[in-house]
Amino acid sequence: MANEKKKLEFAEGEKINLIDLTCRQVDSIYQHMLSKNKPELMWMFDIQKFQWEEVRDAHRNGKKLVAFGGPVPVELIRAFDCVPFFLDTISTRIASQEELCGRFIDETEKYAPASMCGIDKAQLGCILKGELGVQVDAFVHATVPCDSARIAYPIMERVFNCPCFTFDCPFRHDDKGYRYLAGQFDRFVAFMEELTGLKWDAERYEVFKGLMEESNRAYSALIKIAELRKKKPCPLPGRTLVLNELVACMSGTEACTMMLETQLSMGEMLADMGMSASKCPEERYRVCLMQNMLWSDTGILDWMEKTYGAVTVMDGYGYQDGILYEDLDNWENIKYIGAKKMLHTPMIHGATGPAEYWIRIIDKMYDDYDVNVSIFMGHVGCKHTWASGKIVTDMIQEKYGIPTLYVDVDAIDPRYKSTEELQAQIAEYMESVVGATKF
Amino acid sequence: MSYQKLFDTTISDKTVKAWRDSGKKAVGYVCCHVPEEIFYAADVLPVRLRATGCVDSSDAEAWMSSFSCSFSRSVLQYLLNGTYQLDGLVQTDGCMMAARILDNWEHISNKKSEEQFLHQIGAPRITDEYTIEYYKSELKEFADALGEFSGTKVTDEGLKAAVAKTNEMRSLIAKVYELRRAENPVVTGAEVLSITLAECDTSVDEYIEMLKEFLADAENRKPVEPRVRLMVIGSALDNPDYIQVIEEKGGIVVADDLCFASRAFGGQIEVDDKDVLGSIAKYYLSRHTCPRSLDNRPAMHHEILSKCKEYGVQGVIYQKMQNCECWGGESYYLEPDLRSIGIPMMQLEREEHMANAGQLSIRAEAFIEMLEEK
Ligand code: SF4
Ligand code: SF4
Repeated sequence: MANEKKKLEFAEGEKINLIDLTCRQVDSIYQHMLSKNKPELMWMFDIQKFQWEEVRDAHRNGKKLVAFGGPVPVELIRAFDCVPFFLDTISTRIASQEELCGRFIDETEKYAPASMCGIDKAQLGCILKGELGVQVDAFVHATVPCDSARIAYPIMERVFNCPCFTFDCPFRHDDKGYRYLAGQFDRFVAFMEELTGLKWDAERYEVFKGLMEESNRAYSALIKIAELRKKKPCPLPGRTLVLNELVACMSGTEACTMMLETQLSMGEMLADMGMSASKCPEERYRVCLMQNMLWSDTGILDWMEKTYGAVTVMDGYGYQDGILYEDLDNWENIKYIGAKKMLHTPMIHGATGPAEYWIRIIDKMYDDYDVNVSIFMGHVGCKHTWASGKIVTDMIQEKYGIPTLYVDVDAIDPRYKSTEELQAQIAEYMESVVGATKF
Repeated sequence: MSYQKLFDTTISDKTVKAWRDSGKKAVGYVCCHVPEEIFYAADVLPVRLRATGCVDSSDAEAWMSSFSCSFSRSVLQYLLNGTYQLDGLVQTDGCMMAARILDNWEHISNKKSEEQFLHQIGAPRITDEYTIEYYKSELKEFADALGEFSGTKVTDEGLKAAVAKTNEMRSLIAKVYELRRAENPVVTGAEVLSITLAECDTSVDEYIEMLKEFLADAENRKPVEPRVRLMVIGSALDNPDYIQVIEEKGGIVVADDLCFASRAFGGQIEVDDKDVLGSIAKYYLSRHTCPRSLDNRPAMHHEILSKCKEYGVQGVIYQKMQNCECWGGESYYLEPDLRSIGIPMMQLEREEHMANAGQLSIRAEAFIEMLEEK
């Protein structure tokens, strides 16, 4: 998980190879965990190792590397024997590493406003500095999630200077919107054919079918995990929510399915014993993050658990409807479901359309998870969610009778606010508004 | 009729009031992808919302937070404080900030049980035949809903009549822009922005008349002798005073790339009788209003460069509203492009409320001096 607070030092003028660096970091944590001989925890590290090494080794393995931004049908990219590389994972991965994150964010801020979202600033900065460390063969992106992404993607297109494809995602997420997006799939298939020289024939469709089945297994596990987290006490800690986000880029791989299924069986086992893997002796409060995960300081979730028994049971980013592919031989239907899946991808589902969608997610989440502490840890870059924050928190107050704490954070840039400052803000709310006492 | 209203930048409720008093509806809209022609065909007065003169948007800030762009926040403020008294609001997802005006206004008016016509149009962010067709279907939904609301069904004939008028308006604005090409123009940049802003809350008939009178009178105006010729680009700018501060330092703004000015009036709608709504959709989606789209940047930059040549521009001022991401990232490619044709670009941050006029004045003066020395 992206929370190592190790200091990195770079020599003046030194060029970084981000992917290599990340692979080395991930491997050293992996080896460390191996040496601790805790096989029951390795599933958390296996997936990360797989994820980054797959990107690093794509060319070595004779595959094309397809960078992507926003929601895209990753299973289709894999069906053409390519490796999809979700650029947002650069930002979430380096979020806690002040020097690395600062290096890239500062680079972007030379050309773009500081108010832009850290997710986009960090990845764009890395690309502008030429420090990605891998050559991208194609760039596929959507026109969402937001204005920050819409600054970054056109610049990336020109910097990458490789074949590019854009999905135009509609503002509305309904039948008409799904049909509109589904109508762009055939063009995308043609793009992939041209990129790879592979034909979209019966044989390829079989490969795609296998990937959809694998993806369904992952999403089924994710749905069950979300269900499990409703239990009291929540058997899984807040921290594992961070891992689950990987499904956006890894679905269709066995590694992803395995990570989710292992997590699920561990959670079920704990639930059967009435236990929890969270860091508190007793679950007293149930918290849902309303917007993003705080990648820059995921330790805050542990701290809330340890200090107040406040367990983060779900987050607005990771909460999803869990749409599965159905009727796998029916391409027309698959395009429609694929479009629906894209528009229900975390972040896209709540942040890209009318505020009403986000309100609906929060309402359902508060209801389903029996939330009793409401904290809007608002990522400053996500200005349009801030701009609908009052509508949402008014609804929470009126319907659930819970006053919400507003805390401004930068989900990516750890320099924005120190852990101590953040803890102090949360502590004040927990103690004076909620009436919580420390363990 | 006097054309003086063209130079009165305050938001006027005169036309709106008269229109509503006659039993008809007036509906606001935000951003450039809401076709005015549909309003006129439904016999509704379109009012493009702006926030000119807003000095305090604290009520709206409570809704949209301090992280929102002050243009959007100030528009909401004007809805909240009654500056705008309208029958509804229509919105496209120009930028996410502007989109949130509708969300908040919907919520607030529901709370107050105020009946409002509220409609969201989804405008695609890439332009090709497929996306134009989708946008057309969005416009059709809007046209049907608005027609039902006003009691006047939107028909092809109604749309064609409206296009004839708006096209005439565009030709007249093109003539106003022609005046700016002269070595010593008879209109300043601040005046031109006033003229284009006046359209926001004036009916098209009234506006056409005023433009005609102004143009007829233009030759009697005193030419300006500028020190340098400038172009202003960037975020939604609805305050001519901003340009005036720059011009007081001796530059003249002869061209712009602003959505409240040239970008809102470019070209003509070419009507295909067999597909009138499709023609409107094509026009609105194909013109490059702002960098809200993903595929228009190279074309927009090219147009900026062409305008520089056409209008003899010596320097470009790129003003960005704080927290406006839409116009946030153009410098990376645009600056070197401009440099390649010998045109420097100055970047400025601003807020809707012009609290830092002194600083603007200092920066403008330094820029103008630098250009003179070139
Ligand atoms: S967090 Fe918000 S601003 Fe950032 S990429 Fe996501 S939607 Fe955009
Ligand atoms: S800059 Fe674009 S998004 Fe913003 S108000 Fe103008 S047209 Fe709308």
